[in-house]
Amino acid sequence: MLKLTNLAKYFGGVRAVDGLDMQINKGEIFGLIGPNGSGKSTTVNLICGVFPQTAGTIELDNVDLGRLAPHQRIEFGVSRTFQNIRLFGDLTVWQNLWVAWRDAPGHETSWLVNWFGSPADRRHEIQKLLEFSGLGDRADRPASSLSFGEQRRLELARAMASKPKLILLDEPAAGMNSEEVADLRNRILTMKNLGMTVLLVEHVMDLVMSVTDRITVLNFGKPIAEGTPLEIQNNEMVQEAYFGSAKNVEAGN
Amino acid sequence: MNFDHIDIVQSLIDGVLFGSVYALVGLGFTLIFGAMHKLNLAYAASSIAGAYIGLASITIFAVPTVIAFLVGPLAAGLVGLLIYISCFQFMPRNNMLAPLMASIGALFFIDELIIDKTAGSPITFPVLLPDAYFPVGEFGFRGDLLFVTFASFVLMGVIVFMLYRTKMGLATRAASQQPVASLLCGIPTHRTNSTVFVLAGVLGGVAGCLAAAAVGVLSPLLTLPLTVKGLIVAVIGGLGSIRGAIAAGFMIGALENLFLLFRGVNERDIYVFLVLFLFLVVRPNGIFGTSIDRD
Amino acid sequence: MEYYLGITQTIGVHTLLGLSAYVLLLTGQLSLAQVGFFAIGSYVSGILTVIFGWHILPALLVGALVAGFFAFLVGFPALRVKGLMLVVATIAFSEIVRLVFFNVNWRVEVNGLEVGPDSTQGFREIRYFAANGWEQAHVVLLIWLIVILVMVLLWWLDKVRAGAVLRAVGEDELAAQSSGVNLTMVKVAAMTGGGVIAGIAGGLFAHSTTYVDHHTFSILLATFAVSYPILGGLKNVLGTLMAVIFIQGFIIEGLRFMGDYRNILFGLLIIVAMNFRPQGLVDGNFTSDLRKLLRMNQKRGGIDA
Ligand SMILES: Nc1ncnc2c1ncn2[C@@H]1O[C@H](COP(=O)(O)OP(=O)(O)OP(=O)(O)O)[C@@H](O)[C@H]1O
Ligand SMILES: [Mg+2]
Repeated sequence: MLKLTNLAKYFGGVRAVDGLDMQINKGEIFGLIGPNGSGKSTTVNLICGVFPQTAGTIELDNVDLGRLAPHQRIEFGVSRTFQNIRLFGDLTVWQNLWVAWRDAPGHETSWLVNWFGSPADRRHEIQKLLEFSGLGDRADRPASSLSFGEQRRLELARAMASKPKLILLDEPAAGMNSEEVADLRNRILTMKNLGMTVLLVEHVMDLVMSVTDRITVLNFGKPIAEGTPLEIQNNEMVQEAYFGSAKNVEAGN
Repeated sequence: MNFDHIDIVQSLIDGVLFGSVYALVGLGFTLIFGAMHKLNLAYAASSIAGAYIGLASITIFAVPTVIAFLVGPLAAGLVGLLIYISCFQFMPRNNMLAPLMASIGALFFIDELIIDKTAGSPITFPVLLPDAYFPVGEFGFRGDLLFVTFASFVLMGVIVFMLYRTKMGLATRAASQQPVASLLCGIPTHRTNSTVFVLAGVLGGVAGCLAAAAVGVLSPLLTLPLTVKGLIVAVIGGLGSIRGAIAAGFMIGALENLFLLFRGVNERDIYVFLVLFLFLVVRPNGIFGTSIDRD
Repeated sequence: MEYYLGITQTIGVHTLLGLSAYVLLLTGQLSLAQVGFFAIGSYVSGILTVIFGWHILPALLVGALVAGFFAFLVGFPALRVKGLMLVVATIAFSEIVRLVFFNVNWRVEVNGLEVGPDSTQGFREIRYFAANGWEQAHVVLLIWLIVILVMVLLWWLDKVRAGAVLRAVGEDELAAQSSGVNLTMVKVAAMTGGGVIAGIAGGLFAHSTTYVDHHTFSILLATFAVSYPILGGLKNVLGTLMAVIFIQGFIIEGLRFMGDYRNILFGLLIIVAMNFRPQGLVDGNFTSDLRKLLRMNQKRGGIDA
């Protein structure tokens, strides 16, 4: 479904992503892991069109996304969350979803309703999504007044509001306790059951290993390993990339 | 119309020399922006205020002109500090509008205070080196403008030295790049910021005095044009870029004088603004700017 | 009476100007170009009534549309510059417009009189209202009908999804884009809408004062335009109206006895207001603060009794 070919992004001299080939199949939960600064968020940003790639191509269902503006990519069914939560803090919880709302394919309303329809037109559907996200009673609160965990859930709901085929989650478990991570795991599995394809960028290994179908490991912007969670866990290069520096420190002592 | 090359070159010379005033004002805007990522729109007003206070020290206390040229910049530095305290110090760090508006308020305040005290009429300012003129071939260099340029270079040198060779400068640059982290490292950001405001204020005071001396009069009507030109220079140079502001100052001075020669005083500024637009479209990050911006 | 009608006129025109800046501020664009659009609206509609003898309403409309068209054009390059750079760029735009009109000379003879823009002398004798027997009260009525229309329109806009999208863009452009918002379209639309509103304001101003010149279109006016919504807060359109009434009605007119000091006071007021209410006077906390204040007074009352 998503195919990255030889993708690269240089920031001046920094090669944040450097020749990444990756293919995600439809309906998969795909993990993207790697040490800090290895280029995971940059990859997500490239797929969403935050900035243009230096080289390579991004294809979604054989459509070249590479030249499209970010909002056009949403129309093709890509949406995302951010590593550091970016909600519309002064808008209410449900307005956050309203802004991102897109009708399910086949049930589109006219642009007139879409832009100038009153809240009542959408209230019902959006409320359902809020209930699903455990935010049912928060609808009219400003988003900035939510707790951290609730904000994470709202961001996830906002990403789902555009009815994506492919959803990119950039460290959704960062800062969560184990209970919240368990809840997140269920949500991600539900997304899969709803037919979405998920790209999960994550440092919380328990989550990645228990939920993903396949994983790519990045280091210095290059893929160093690819495989099932089990294969990745036993891969020496991966351990080296993650813990190599720690070993060196030990050796130094 | 025909202009011979003598007119053109002469107006270029005068323009570049006078451009040093713009460079100083642009430098002030850029320093403050560099330190805090905020615009102080009252900056040029504080420069003019400094010049007025210098002038007042002559007319009221009859101090020698040289002293007035010291009083003016110092007073402008003080005004800069007051602006920092009243418009910037207590504002939320991530709010851009509030300090901007407050500094506009300060601009009005200073401007109206001057208008009130001087009844709005221009006052003659002591001319520096009135008779100095250095003919070079067919051209000539006005002594006062040469002095202005020279003084500006010295000041710019001092500023660059302070920023890159002193501990205070290091702290300022750190605070500018990572305000929160620097605070955690024990850098008193309020102190570095207020130092920048005072320094920039002094720069502006010198610019104000020099400009007034070169023009020969001081008038509240100077504030807005100086504000706008200073902003243009800072933007063309790339907000936060010191060498950019200096280069842009001389460039705008020169271009302005050329436009004056070719198109007359009524149209001159139109072309200056068009140059600004050209830069915004072609080089939005300034003369020396790179195009990488972090999110 | 005439005096109060005059103030009401001014408040109406400035409210429109403030609202035009309000629309842009919703999307996070601080624009000082509004006075440029204001100038375009006043010159175009003035030329239409004075030189071409149009009726005031179509003249206002065309003036507003032309201003909106220029705003549309400005909207695209404005996308490239953000935040403080936009402030500077829009200052430059307003100054260019001002200087262009400063040089426009288009004198024609109408009914034996030479009329039209007279370059540095400004555009005088825009006497549509007097020539057509409008009383001042009618003019005030026209202005306020338009003000109310625009306010209702903006109020409604805030109730539908378009309003939420505008505010979303103002809060976080990247997040809005990533939620499917077409940034270019939204920002250019806001700029155009703001331009139209400022253009109407300009047309009304030119006709109600009968003359405009380059002093009218100063950066000072642009500053006023943005200071209303900033002081009033972006909570809703009423904040802007209240700020205009407060500044134009109370500070400028009410304190007339203070002479020059009220301008000084105006500067001080902005500084003080921004320090104590950086989000504007009527922000989200406004109503709760008001409630707290009331409750405090009640308590005080209880103890006294
Ligand atoms: N906009 C940018 N401009 C310049 N450099 C950038 C930019 N974004 C990322 N980088 C650099 O690119 C490299 C990769 O960053 P990226 O954010 O993709 O890492 P990451 O894998 O997401 O790390 P983390 O686990 O810490 O989130 C880093 O060296 C970073 O400093
Ligand atoms: Mg990351």
